[in-house]
Amino acid sequence: MALKFSLLPALRYSVIASICFKLLLYPAYKSTDFEVHRNWLAITYSKPFNEWYYEETSEWTLDYPPLFGYFEWFLSQFAKWVDLEMLAVENLGYSSVATVYFQRTSVIVSEFVLTYALQAYIQLLPENKRQPAYAIAMSIYFSPGFVIIDNIHFQYNAMLFGILVWSLVAMKQQRFLRGAILFATLLCFKHIFVYLAPAYFAYLLRIYCLDVSHFNLNSLVRAIRWKNSICLGSSVIFVALVAFGPFIYLGQIPQLLKRLFPFSRGLCHAYWAPNIWALYSASDRALFLLFRKVLDNPVYAEDSASLTRGLVGISSFNVLPDIEPRTTFLLTAFYQLIALIPMIINPSHDKFISALTLCGYASFLFGWHVHEKAILLVIVPFSFLTLKDRRYLTPFYLLTVSGYVSLFPLIFTSPEAPIKYLYTFTWIFAFYNVFDDLAPVRTTHRVFLLDRIAHVFLLGFIPLLIFVELYSQFAMFAGFEFLGLMMISTYCSLGILSSFVGFSWLYLFT
Amino acid sequence: MSPAEVSAKADTKVRPEISSLKSSPESQAIGTGYETPLSVFLSPFKAARTQWVARRVIIMISLLFRFGVGLGPYSGFNDPPMYGDFEAQRHWMEITYHLPMSEWYWYDLQYWGLDYPPLTAYHSWLLGALGSKFEPSWFELVTSRGCEDINLKSYLRSTVLISELLIYIPAVSMFVRWTVENQKLSPLHHSIASAAILLQPALILIDHGHFQYNAVMLGLALLAITNILNDRLVVGSVFFVLSLFFKQMALYYAIPIFAYLLGGCIFPRLNLLRFISLALSVLVTFALVLAPIIVTSGGGATGAYDQGLQIMIRIFPFARGLWEDKVANFWCTLNIVVKVKQIYSADTLQRFSLLATLVSVLPAFFMLSVYPRRKALIWGVSATAWGFFLFSFQVHEKSILLPLLPVTLQLAAEPGTNTQSYIYWINNVAVFSLWPLLKRDGLVLQYFAVSFLYNWLMGSFTKLPDALLGKFIIILSYSGIAVLHIAEFFIEPPVQYPDLWVVGNSTLCFGCFALFLLWNYAQLYRACRAKA
Repeated sequence: MALKFSLLPALRYSVIASICFKLLLYPAYKSTDFEVHRNWLAITYSKPFNEWYYEETSEWTLDYPPLFGYFEWFLSQFAKWVDLEMLAVENLGYSSVATVYFQRTSVIVSEFVLTYALQAYIQLLPENKRQPAYAIAMSIYFSPGFVIIDNIHFQYNAMLFGILVWSLVAMKQQRFLRGAILFATLLCFKHIFVYLAPAYFAYLLRIYCLDVSHFNLNSLVRAIRWKNSICLGSSVIFVALVAFGPFIYLGQIPQLLKRLFPFSRGLCHAYWAPNIWALYSASDRALFLLFRKVLDNPVYAEDSASLTRGLVGISSFNVLPDIEPRTTFLLTAFYQLIALIPMIINPSHDKFISALTLCGYASFLFGWHVHEKAILLVIVPFSFLTLKDRRYLTPFYLLTVSGYVSLFPLIFTSPEAPIKYLYTFTWIFAFYNVFDDLAPVRTTHRVFLLDRIAHVFLLGFIPLLIFVELYSQFAMFAGFEFLGLMMISTYCSLGILSSFVGFSWLYLFT
Repeated sequence: MSPAEVSAKADTKVRPEISSLKSSPESQAIGTGYETPLSVFLSPFKAARTQWVARRVIIMISLLFRFGVGLGPYSGFNDPPMYGDFEAQRHWMEITYHLPMSEWYWYDLQYWGLDYPPLTAYHSWLLGALGSKFEPSWFELVTSRGCEDINLKSYLRSTVLISELLIYIPAVSMFVRWTVENQKLSPLHHSIASAAILLQPALILIDHGHFQYNAVMLGLALLAITNILNDRLVVGSVFFVLSLFFKQMALYYAIPIFAYLLGGCIFPRLNLLRFISLALSVLVTFALVLAPIIVTSGGGATGAYDQGLQIMIRIFPFARGLWEDKVANFWCTLNIVVKVKQIYSADTLQRFSLLATLVSVLPAFFMLSVYPRRKALIWGVSATAWGFFLFSFQVHEKSILLPLLPVTLQLAAEPGTNTQSYIYWINNVAVFSLWPLLKRDGLVLQYFAVSFLYNWLMGSFTKLPDALLGKFIIILSYSGIAVLHIAEFFIEPPVQYPDLWVVGNSTLCFGCFALFLLWNYAQLYRACRAKA
């Protein structure tokens, strides 16, 4: 696809309007991730290349793959014109106005990757059939996830998901090599996308590297498209070499792996991401409190979970059996495999996107030490399927509402609270009405009762959020500071789990 | 799903898609006939059954931008010992909540003594009482002075927003509905007109950036105007009295509203019953609002008299001189050439200013009492407000919001590009006149973001009036604004004129405002002469 710099009017307007809004977010709360990224700017700017992954003046060491390091180095070449102080590794917590403006601006500028990727997506369709594509692209562009995580909390997700969308567009165009290269690049930016890799691997293997028409057990060799496979393999290795090559040369790969995959963390993050383990932990807490009340057993006098609570999160339980990392890996792999099978049997682009979404779901729901932000790995691929037909809307609504609400605790300061609520609500209100309007009707196979239950469930978020916002005002809940967060993540995990079930059902059985 | 709904859904499949709207004849029919970014955003909601979605989305987005501006600093942030308007409002909540009513207008007048009418005081009491439930230390007597707790800021910011949501926004919706029904405009125009009024940058920046509750007063006044336009004169006059009792600045509107109501009682024939019911409703509202504070004053009749007098003295601070800060009005501009404050006594100046104000507003009074036409009312209100802003006593730069409101309302009532171009222009000049204030508050980013968004969204950059003179004036003044901004950014003013850029600002704005007053009179005249 040829790069064109002119944007479609509707996209151009969206960019301008959202930039005006995001400028107003400059003075907003920023999390430690702001300092993390400032520190990376400083490390990549002022330290020699071979110290990047060894530097540890700040506790926020560089723990993204090398391409992101190169990206930070690139940014630092502009940062030095703005405020040299932000590039000093010793200046821990440095956040002058110029630094804030520079970093916030760099996020907004990097979002253009997403904008152009979405434009490419819209342009896949002829001009008179673009209405649904516009709706989907806008819903991604204006996603509350990006506003909350990138523009307030501070990260560069919109850019990274831009690369993902770009790769998906290439896959849709059957330019598999380009799609693979882009995805490999994305992996070298942020390795969390490895959760989606099984779908890519299986799909490319099936559709690009194997020739099923020649498949027979006697001559497996003929079933392989050698040219394609070699092209694919070498280009992916090339991307990996560009990113990791210098560190391989320096012999620092063990150190890199140690940084990229810190296995010392617990099952759940300090704030439970809304997955199956949140439900598990909640049941454990509930059973523990119950047992302590009912049974007069000294075993339950000591609260072992509270000992490990904190930065590392929860890794041991009071009542229920502890979960081993191996268990989570097996569960994730199992559900991912299930997702891949129909796609391998009967590959199509839609099946690929579905498998991608399910890979996201599986790793989010069953993974080890999942962050709530990883929900975007599910929401973004799912968005492209929303308007396939009406039945996808209910799981999509469950997913997006639960997913975005589960991001709310990231922003816990009072000035930004109304913005996170109102922005998300506006997004939901506007896009659900648009989607309802655009989704093609399919009157057969609709389970009305389940739709009703889903709507009631979604309405339940309103009293839940009001309660969580206000409960600290009531004295009777003193000593239960985590109750609000627990309730949010439990309720959200129910929503995400049921959307997973609904989506899997649609994918596997229709 | 019913068959009817299914067929309705099927219809939507053939709807034109967003980008092809650009040339479709349908988009020519809506609003102004111009394709603006806003109309592109609203195009997914073009179908009649989704119109309500568009209207609510507009309100939500205007609220989002208000919250966004609210993230910025406020007046007097981190500026002891007096701080600014934020502290003044907070201080009033503190004293009204903790002191008996009889002391409200007497307590420590040197430190932000209460100088707004009783309705503001009651409003402050309510917010103080409510806020003390969350965190008593925000409003503790004396010790809370200069409190800059981040949660206090959030609380006060949201009270501004909720007050606005309860009063100003419904008022705007009612007004827009009236214009849409009255002039048979398209439903899409409804959304565009609401956006044109709700996203007006000056009010957002002052109320949610600088920090004040102007939207309450403006909203009450607008409720008055809308009710009067809908022929609910008694309700309208009650709302207007409430507006006056929230902020005395609503007096800028009093003369034309009085003239219109009076004219309605006299022309086409004398209607004594209407006159009496209006007079009674005004008096009763007056009495009801004042009663609590007068009755509780203690000390019998003299106590009540003293209390009333004190309220008057506090509300109308004639002792504070013709102006305080640089304002883009006649007196400040005259002062550049003739140092009026040194030549004349404060009393003489007061008389001059009274005379000049009367001269500037009397034509509007006469026109409206002779031609009490609905379309003329708003032009009359704005003409008078401009007259007051330009010539009266003790004008603050923030008072520009008063003439700006009725003028902005015309964006809904007058969909023609020619009129709109002047209105967007004066809105921009008005925001520029607030620049020195906003810059002092640290709201530079917000100033540019919000005013750019408004102009771009409404497509005002592409609108110029038909008349050559109008084009010339608008382009010239925009160039002047650009030059002053650039000069201020890059060039230090000379030592002997440290206020050079501020003076340039107020002079330029005064010129534009004065010309706009003349144009406004022309519109008023046209509206009065038009067939009813």
